[in-house]
Amino acid sequence: MLNIVWAYPDILNLHGDRGNLFALERVAKLLGIETKVTKIEKYNEKIDFKNTDIILFNVGEVKVMPTLVYALEAQEKELMEYIEAGKIIILIGTTGCIMAKETLRADGTKFKGLGVLDMICTERKDVYGNDLHFTIGEENTEIMANQIQLIDTKLNSDIALGKVIYGMGNNDGNSEGAKYKNVIFTNALGPVLVKNPWYTEKLVKLAMANKGEEIENAIEKEEFEIELNSMECIKKFIENKRKEE
Amino acid sequence: MKKIKFHIALIVGKTIAFIVNIIAKGRGTNLSGKYAYKICKNFIKEFKNIDYSKVVFITGTNGKSTTNNMIINALKTAGKTVTTNLEGANLITGIATAMIKNSTITGKIKTEYMIFETDERYLKQTFDQLPAKNICITNLQKDQVQRNGEPDFIYQKIKAVLNKDMTIYVNNEEPRVKSFEDIGCKVVYYGIERNDKSFEKNDFYDVTLPCPKCNDKVKFQYYNIDNVGKFKCVNCGFKSEDDIEYFAKNINYEDNTFECGNTKYTMNYTQPFFLYNYVLCIAICKNFGISEEKIQESFNTFKNIGGRLETIKYKDKEIKYIRIKQENPETLQSALDYVSLDKTNKILAIGLEELKDFKPYYTNTFYGFDCDYKELINSNIDKYICFSEAVAYDSANILIYAGVEKDKIKVLPTEEIVDILEELDKYDTKNVYLITWLHAYEALERHMEKLK
Repeated sequence: MLNIVWAYPDILNLHGDRGNLFALERVAKLLGIETKVTKIEKYNEKIDFKNTDIILFNVGEVKVMPTLVYALEAQEKELMEYIEAGKIIILIGTTGCIMAKETLRADGTKFKGLGVLDMICTERKDVYGNDLHFTIGEENTEIMANQIQLIDTKLNSDIALGKVIYGMGNNDGNSEGAKYKNVIFTNALGPVLVKNPWYTEKLVKLAMANKGEEIENAIEKEEFEIELNSMECIKKFIENKRKEE
Repeated sequence: MKKIKFHIALIVGKTIAFIVNIIAKGRGTNLSGKYAYKICKNFIKEFKNIDYSKVVFITGTNGKSTTNNMIINALKTAGKTVTTNLEGANLITGIATAMIKNSTITGKIKTEYMIFETDERYLKQTFDQLPAKNICITNLQKDQVQRNGEPDFIYQKIKAVLNKDMTIYVNNEEPRVKSFEDIGCKVVYYGIERNDKSFEKNDFYDVTLPCPKCNDKVKFQYYNIDNVGKFKCVNCGFKSEDDIEYFAKNINYEDNTFECGNTKYTMNYTQPFFLYNYVLCIAICKNFGISEEKIQESFNTFKNIGGRLETIKYKDKEIKYIRIKQENPETLQSALDYVSLDKTNKILAIGLEELKDFKPYYTNTFYGFDCDYKELINSNIDKYICFSEAVAYDSANILIYAGVEKDKIKVLPTEEIVDILEELDKYDTKNVYLITWLHAYEALERHMEKLK
């Protein structure tokens, strides 16, 4: 059984990212794994960290982030134990702020994050939207996504999740996202786990391995035919953009 | 010096308007204003004879043009004179063009009222030069994220112009705009009663939005349209008002009537979002002293220009085109809902397409995951055709995730009209719906013209 916490789905609901949850469920099903999804809907609700394998934080408005940090601080000890145990947290887009050291808002104010990721976020005065193509890890797992950049991210140490091939990423060299243990922050939208099910498969397998259940079988490539075709089309689109730029 | 510049700009603007009117009537809706602004920096600020209590800005994500057109029609029916950017040119240059056309050579506005649809991003720029005393905010939804990022981005821009000396008209059932009530303006709420087209969303995967006041979850008792309905925050208790003056009740879709106050109105357009436009129009008109009779008379003659529905004949097929706004899940949902109402066998061609308004172009389709496809899937669609150069596969994937069988979907990674029509030729189904951007439909229209 794969236990997923869908964190604050109504509050973190900007860019169709509930699709990320659908992708986790679909890939788990293809691997023959049952899933249980628990919604945490209100700030005063507690997360059952002991019985959770993946926590998904989708994108939300920057203004809600301090409230989220405050809510999670109420369970900080359990949260840190969960993180140190190598369990998975996925933070999409703006929700990177909650695990950052600090976020500087466009109006000059700032708020502290939980400090798990050694990075500083800065809210942009203007929005930047583009495609985002990058690779993750030594295996160079290829990710095709979109980006609506509301915060720029400066990494203070070598914690980048991936390397940008095309697009902006963190707006800090060619780094994209950040990672500490299995706390994964990415700017990638799409929804990213829908468009890149090969990465979703890795995450699901990792979550199961974390609790001693190694998944040996791999999903047939044919299952991901639509997504692979999509990636090829968008690569061509990007190539044409590069020629015009 | 400022005055001299204004008068030169006004003469140049009037000359351009005169020429445009001769050579291309109805076009160049920004042109006079654009050139006037090149000469005079705060051009519209310099006009005289303006009663700001009779100036109205209509802003928000969806429904600006329709509401604007409806109000203009009502005021004109009541014999009032109005300056407006009816053609939808909603930036400051469009407003300036309208003012050039409706002023004397000395810069005096000739009309009693000024009603302008105003782009929400540039509201402050316009307001700083033309401080309207009435602002209607229709709704604030996810929209054009490459420009706007998140609704709060626009929320802050609107908030920046609101002050205690003005009247705001806000939708009682849309949480974001209703929360502007805290600023201290005079607030006029408008809304509609639960009706036969209202619906609930209680599926596990249904999501709402954060409370604009405390950031916790907003819960809807029911929806009249997507993201609009009777609501309450689970934490702070912020909610839609129970008793408001401008409230459409006893909505009857069989005889096309509703009541507001003690008056029964007849409507030509019965989609629920139109009801909100009707009630907002009533609220504005009543506050300007227009009689119920004149308002009803205007509803009888109101025609929604630039509507979102068109029909085109292709061989033995009828293609019904539904326009959607780019990166706007609400208009996509409305289009899907419209298709779902037709339970006969049909083909749905859907082209979400790449975003090419400005650089960098990009391939966003993620707003498709904000929509609900249950009714669509149960409405007898024989075939789904997903087309576009780069995102046809992504569009198909959205449908597959929604539960459409893979073999019912044809993916066409192209925007070539010939290819799309060739695909349509393969099916006997005569009833075809097309959902895409306007430019793709215009390409289809041009192609059909060539075939004639």
